[in-house]
Amino acid sequence: MSMALYHGNTQSSEAAKMEQIITEFFAKSRQIILESRCPHVSSRNYSGEQMMSSPSPSSSSSSSSSIRGRDKWFNLALRDCPAAIESIDFWRQSNLEPMVVDIILVQRLSDWDPMSYSPRRDLVRNLSGKERFQNCWSSEDDEFGCDMKTEKIIERWVVQYESRKGGRDCSSGSKRSIAPSLHTLYKKSILLLRSLYAMVRLLPAYKLYRDLISSGQILTFNLAHRVSSFVEPFTHREESEMQQFEFTPVETFSGRLCLSVTYRSSLLDVSSEPSTPMTPQFIQDYVGSPMADPLKRLLSFPVPQGSPCSSPFGRRHSWSHDFYTPSPPSALPSPSPAYSDSRASISKPSSHCLPPRSLPRHLPETPQRHKNNTNLDAYWPSIFSPSPSTSPPAHLPSSHKSKALLRSESAPVSIPASKLGSTPLSNNNQILPRSPPLKVKRNSASKTQRSSGLVQTSTVDKLFSFGKYENKRCSGSSGVKLSSNSSPQKSFSRSSSKLSFQDDFDDSEFSGPFVVDDDDMADRGSRPGSFDQRGLIRDPLEPRGLFQVRKSQDAAVAALVHVLKRAPPLRQDISNSIDLSPSSSHVTLTNPTEERNEKSELRVQSAVISVASPKTTSAALEELRGYREMKDLLLRQKGMRSHTQAK
Amino acid sequence: MNCEVCRLKELEVEHFEIREVLRCILHTILFHRALGLVRPKDVDLELFEITYVQCGNVELEKKIDEKIDQFIDRVEKHPNKKNQICLSFYEVKNKQAVWFTNKVERLYWEQWYISLNVAQQPKSHSGKSYYSKVVVDPGESALEERSHRRAALEASLREVLFQIIKFVNEKKDHVPPIPNLEGLSFPYEITISSSSDSASGMDMFKRMLQTGHPTMLS
Repeated sequence: MSMALYHGNTQSSEAAKMEQIITEFFAKSRQIILESRCPHVSSRNYSGEQMMSSPSPSSSSSSSSSIRGRDKWFNLALRDCPAAIESIDFWRQSNLEPMVVDIILVQRLSDWDPMSYSPRRDLVRNLSGKERFQNCWSSEDDEFGCDMKTEKIIERWVVQYESRKGGRDCSSGSKRSIAPSLHTLYKKSILLLRSLYAMVRLLPAYKLYRDLISSGQILTFNLAHRVSSFVEPFTHREESEMQQFEFTPVETFSGRLCLSVTYRSSLLDVSSEPSTPMTPQFIQDYVGSPMADPLKRLLSFPVPQGSPCSSPFGRRHSWSHDFYTPSPPSALPSPSPAYSDSRASISKPSSHCLPPRSLPRHLPETPQRHKNNTNLDAYWPSIFSPSPSTSPPAHLPSSHKSKALLRSESAPVSIPASKLGSTPLSNNNQILPRSPPLKVKRNSASKTQRSSGLVQTSTVDKLFSFGKYENKRCSGSSGVKLSSNSSPQKSFSRSSSKLSFQDDFDDSEFSGPFVVDDDDMADRGSRPGSFDQRGLIRDPLEPRGLFQVRKSQDAAVAALVHVLKRAPPLRQDISNSIDLSPSSSHVTLTNPTEERNEKSELRVQSAVISVASPKTTSAALEELRGYREMKDLLLRQKGMRSHTQAK
Repeated sequence: MNCEVCRLKELEVEHFEIREVLRCILHTILFHRALGLVRPKDVDLELFEITYVQCGNVELEKKIDEKIDQFIDRVEKHPNKKNQICLSFYEVKNKQAVWFTNKVERLYWEQWYISLNVAQQPKSHSGKSYYSKVVVDPGESALEERSHRRAALEASLREVLFQIIKFVNEKKDHVPPIPNLEGLSFPYEITISSSSDSASGMDMFKRMLQTGHPTMLS
């Protein structure tokens, strides 16, 4: 044991030994912390060497032996940690000053206009005062290029020796002696360091560290550290997000050794998945705000939906071609099949939950359509489950913006928070980056379920093309969060079977919002959008119309597919959907129902609402109002229908 | 020296999770009690996103694994009972032989109780795959359920590990001086007990006897 190194049995030597124990305690704890937080010093040998370039010449000769000796301190043999070694040179403080180790999460925001990041580096330089630390940063910069970075302290470790004047410390020390003996002190320090070692691996930041050292790809984040002797206090907001754990102090006869950690309990906004940086742009008039013209247009247009079945085709073509150009209202992009189907329920915009009502009705006709959509077969079988017609009515979008209340049969579509102008999800739900693909497929499936002889192939084609468009737009406009969109679920739920499921869909490149314009949606009753059972939420920054499909919701998928098919082009927003609305003519293809008109009505509203994401709170409120109306309408319908059926 | 007892939170595990969970817990405890020189070894669990620390001692690992095997056997033999592993640390007191007995007395100074509730679900896993289903079938909801359960177990396991760390931190005084002897750890023993619900009354009774409280069994 290292205590054997000491000789002398006078009080002063005891004190000296104690000092040395404390000094070594600082060093050891620093090493334990840094070796499991600092990726540069572990498997990344290149950076490790880089780091060791300057300190090692001085330390290797003189302290190599002591490093080895240091190994045995506290009976915890650790491998060399260059970061700790470096910081040892830097850390020339007395034992009376606290040692604060900050673990900083540096996240890369790709492709923003390169802002000056040097100030940050300068700050760091000042703080560290050491070349090596700068090297640490510069290596990150090299990796990240000229990207903008955000930093966040995710952990703060404070090691402190509080000296006690007067030596009145027998309170919590060993009861058997006046002052805790050195042996006791040493034993307790050993215990403390063991628990530190275990704790370090249980905190959330450890996972980030492991991701960094294991992934061979460039990730969007990095971990940096900072050792200082002062505490930069957290803001109140930061503190509210953090938790603290205090290790039990070790008493000595002249003070006590304290160790505590403040850490962020959730780090779910960090993706460990490498992502190709995409240009984060917000497409301003992505789908045209329903709060602007579309509403007016919607109201003014009588929705000349009298066109027969062929019009969908016409519209489809116009839609697919005019995807990026605003088309006149008459060119209604949404798939006409939506109207031709008999819809018992009004389809709500994407943010609504549509009770899956008419689905069973359409089952028999499914097969024909089914064969047309062979490429969706893989996802369809599960979709053909007849969803109960009494699914819960759509709930207000505001209430489920981020968390769809999914029932097993429905796929609630929820408008992401951003869409309604509300604050993005601040909770730590995992972001569901690619749920759209999932939804798309499901919607197609549901679409096929819908009977009424609508030509599905075309709509399916449209759906796919639409989806692809959506994807491009979506990925482009998801902005800052894009990197984090790249299936953070994957990184955070290794054991989740859902992930693999999602992955299948992720590849399809469907994403993005689409208008839920939906008789189809309505009658199918599926809600285009659902949540992953874990409450994974679509990134609120993604453009509107985000659907969240619950994986297990076959009906939801079908609905979604349907919605997608019927979704108007992004740019054409309401103008097109307006035509949709009172489409009794479309309904001709379907079983006539007295609810047709209502459906169209709802359709209109849904079209209006589903289209663009409002950019203001007022817009969001408008949308909310629209949703409420839709909901009421749906409820009314439901009541009416049940009444009808009861007859 | 009093005997500190730590009862860890009970975990609901499935049969195939027993080994990993027990390894994790036992090694974590032992890492805190192996106060000789260790070279710690990080071990990642496969079923969960948890990394725990082992002492890096091969013999210790073997012993632990043997005990875990015993536990699993016991679980299989007594399927409907709550099973418990008790990890006790003791000091060896060589009691002066009274006549012929040369018994070595063990003075327990710490006991850890690990309770596992092993789920006895019939493995009715359907062979149906997701893609062959037409109906939203129970298979999917079972999967959901399983992943929920798995996530809950992971959270509970993390809690148990935190519990261990807290206990180790708070109670240090009862730890005897570190023997500068061979072996990494304080002497320990692992016992397995299974108790049906009725037997928990016995436990309580025993505890009462030990503590000497004249309470009534209710």
